Amino acid sequence: MDARIARALTTLEHIVLGKPGQLRLALACLLARGHLLIEDVPGVGKTTLAHALAQVLGLAWQRVQFTSDLLPADILGVPVFDRSTQQFHFRKGPVFTQLLLADEVNRASPRTQSALLEAMEERQVSSDVTTYRLPEPFFVVATQNPHEQLGTYPLPESQLDRFLMCIELGYPEPIHERELLRSGERREYLPQIAPAMDAGAVLDLQRAVRGVYVSEPLLDYVQALIARSRSHPDIVLGLSPRAGQGLVRAAQAWATLGGREAVLPEDVQAVFLAVATHRLTRRSDDTAPDDRLARELLEAVAVPV
Amino acid sequence: MTPRTLFTTTLPRAQNHPALAWVTAAFGGGVLLHADRLPFWCVLVVLTLIAWRLAGELQWLPTPARSLRALLTVTLVFGVVGSFRTLNGLAAGTALLAVMGAAKLLEARTRRDYLIVIGTALFLLLAACLDRQALLRVPLYGAQVWLSCTALALAANADAPAFGARRALSLAGRTLLLALPLAVALFLFFPRIAGGFWALPPGGAALTGLSDEMSPGSIAELTENDAPAFRTWFLGATPPPEERYWRGPVLNDFDGYTWRQSRASFTLQTPLEYLGPGYRYRIALEPHSHPWWFALEMVRGAPDARAQFQFDYQLSSAPVAETVTYEAVSYPRTRAAGTLSVLGRRVATRLPPGRNPRARAFAERLRASSISDAVFVQAVLGHFRTGGFEYTLTPPRTDFDFVDDFLFTTRRGFCGHYASAFVALMRAGGVPARVVTGYLGAEWNPVGRYFIVRQSDAHAWAEVWLEGRGWTRIDPTAVVSPERLSRGILDLLPDAVSAPARLVHALPWLATLRFRWDAANTWWQQHVVGFDLRSQLALLGVLGFARADLQQLVAVLAAVTLGWLAWILWETRRTARVPRRDALARAWLGCCAALAPIAARRAHEGPLAYAGRIARARPGLGAELHDLAAAYARLRFGRDADEAAIRDFVRRAARFRRTRRFQTGRS
Repeated sequence: MDARIARALTTLEHIVLGKPGQLRLALACLLARGHLLIEDVPGVGKTTLAHALAQVLGLAWQRVQFTSDLLPADILGVPVFDRSTQQFHFRKGPVFTQLLLADEVNRASPRTQSALLEAMEERQVSSDVTTYRLPEPFFVVATQNPHEQLGTYPLPESQLDRFLMCIELGYPEPIHERELLRSGERREYLPQIAPAMDAGAVLDLQRAVRGVYVSEPLLDYVQALIARSRSHPDIVLGLSPRAGQGLVRAAQAWATLGGREAVLPEDVQAVFLAVATHRLTRRSDDTAPDDRLARELLEAVAVPV
Repeated sequence: MTPRTLFTTTLPRAQNHPALAWVTAAFGGGVLLHADRLPFWCVLVVLTLIAWRLAGELQWLPTPARSLRALLTVTLVFGVVGSFRTLNGLAAGTALLAVMGAAKLLEARTRRDYLIVIGTALFLLLAACLDRQALLRVPLYGAQVWLSCTALALAANADAPAFGARRALSLAGRTLLLALPLAVALFLFFPRIAGGFWALPPGGAALTGLSDEMSPGSIAELTENDAPAFRTWFLGATPPPEERYWRGPVLNDFDGYTWRQSRASFTLQTPLEYLGPGYRYRIALEPHSHPWWFALEMVRGAPDARAQFQFDYQLSSAPVAETVTYEAVSYPRTRAAGTLSVLGRRVATRLPPGRNPRARAFAERLRASSISDAVFVQAVLGHFRTGGFEYTLTPPRTDFDFVDDFLFTTRRGFCGHYASAFVALMRAGGVPARVVTGYLGAEWNPVGRYFIVRQSDAHAWAEVWLEGRGWTRIDPTAVVSPERLSRGILDLLPDAVSAPARLVHALPWLATLRFRWDAANTWWQQHVVGFDLRSQLALLGVLGFARADLQQLVAVLAAVTLGWLAWILWETRRTARVPRRDALARAWLGCCAALAPIAARRAHEGPLAYAGRIARARPGLGAELHDLAAAYARLRFGRDADEAAIRDFVRRAARFRRTRRFQTGRS
């Protein structure tokens, strides 16, 4: 494993206790140039995770609390008239950062949501005739509380598809809970920690991820998974081609985390639940999407030998 | 895939996969085999449920809720019980299977559901085989078994990409061909123990052919019917046409219009003395549901224990519900070796009082002028010959005093009329006489080299008791129409028989075709359907078992079956040894097979995951196995694996397998 990645993971695990799997997924998501959606109840450390990621990776970060009266300009920026130069001048919004924490993204109006999601996809912001590129790397960590219904606008499938991964943090184990209770606010540790890398190193690693070898048998396997999701009788919509691409990229990132030069079926399986679960809707939609369907798909498709 | 998920996997929707269509077709085919025997409502229910399932698949209709399905099931069970008053027996069981299978199809989602529906279809096929075994249905059964196996293959391989209907058909076909030798072995050697559950009495076979009573014209109805009554093989000499009288029911009771079998027949049989040469023959009697057998006149006792030789020399049996085959010996010339008992004489001279007065007076007058019974017989026959009588199949209707009306007014009739009138006259003249019904003639099938006796050959004649000779056959029809003896009805009265029979008569090639078909059918009935324990033991005798018995049969069956299974196993192992996989995969799968005693590799498990699972179970194996799995993963999924590296891995894998085996042997 790359020493920088190892150091980053160790540091992160020191801040966010007892969630090594989620931390690895979050890091893999970032290295795969994807955006991350964290679905969970308040107070389990979503913000701390995002903050820690930014700090450890040496990235600039901004946080936007989404509310129902938030406007697109509040995120993207707004043209203001400069008296001294007699010209309009674009004042960049909080989206112009390397890691954006979009808290409770489902509270904003669909218009604001789609403005953000467009920026995420295009990695640029247009105002009048000028296009402003977002900084590199650019990484959105959005959070939402799935159990809140009143005054929220749940993200539609097309928007969910833009998040490479969706993870849940969950409550800590008793041992870690005890540690949390004893030591108090974890965020206080943040200023103390030294970054494990910087933006240049992140871009470097993102390029390395794209170079991880993907063999023909592995593509067969990914295609079989996708085909199975599309023919499954209980699934409304199977995985999209974008989801397939994301799956391969996420698996490449996971292989990088594991220090491998080629993607194995295990890498695909490791990221599959995080990549696929939020994109699969059960036909008889009586419950919130759970990972049972994705697990069923994994069990139904044989690994190429 | 673990066994649990193997069965609970939800199969793809019909739009994406042919499995549902084929399973539905297989089930529909199974029901279709019974369609003409099932109650109409059952067929309707099956069709409705199939349509519902398909509509649900196209999302035109919602799939019924669990409670509705439960209600449906209970309703259908009660429906079947209401229809049949039982759930026992083939007919009720088949109906239950059909409607329950359709209900299962309605809710079928997972592989297990589909397998149950296919199983139901196969059970329906089995029921059809128990029910009817006609040669004509054999291709149907074959097609149904192939269809079901194709559906089975599709349901089993629903996850496999590119496993379509064509491949399923070919796989099912090849599997069935492989099973064929086993089926033949089971057919030949599986002991046919009489009274097994498969020997179910076929319910409600139609009553056909001669009945136990005869009214004027009743036999004429049979001439339209050219269905075979029985087939016969002569073992040795063949009797000339005028001796081909096949005796059936003997009628003793007369009410002036209709002859009936004697209900109370406790009369003693007059023993017979058999003269001259006899004929040995075998008869395969078609089912006719009546309790009697036919035999050439005059049979020497009951052919076997299934029949009794009655006082009137008739062979009585249990109702003939399926084809029976028996061998008999008959002698055309016989003589009574005793006298007619008093009761026998009374039974054979009884006439209804007050009926047919003119005929009685006529007979008494004629008897008075004859010096003996034999002369009286000749006198009555002479009257038939010269009295202006005509042989026709379309006689006019007669009065209730049938004999008077026929003898003195209409004078036109068929064999039944003549036999009936003749016996009535004999009895009026005090001569013991009775009506015998049966068949006259036989058609030679040159293809199968046997005779066919058809319902249209039905005939009635008389027997009179003459002192010194005993019961003597007199055929008054032969006096009126001598050609009836040597030629069939068809030649004699072409208009009287059915149109198809006439067509066959007119076109020789059609007749040949019919003979061929009849020969094939007969062969099928005799040698396949009628292949019983006796034939099996005879076969063992041919195979060289000196004293064949049931145990030897079972032993041969076991040997043949196991031999065939062993051959298939060996053959698959041999072909599996050169699979289409490359050396790398073979080497890795070999390691997995060696590790299977610890934990079997799951199909959806990658090499590292499997190695990790094994290492948790056997920490001692961990490091070596992990290296091996990582090497395999690198070669399989990594960049440019060269030949040397693969060869090296194959050697490592072989070494690992050897040591692994060594370790198992030690522990």
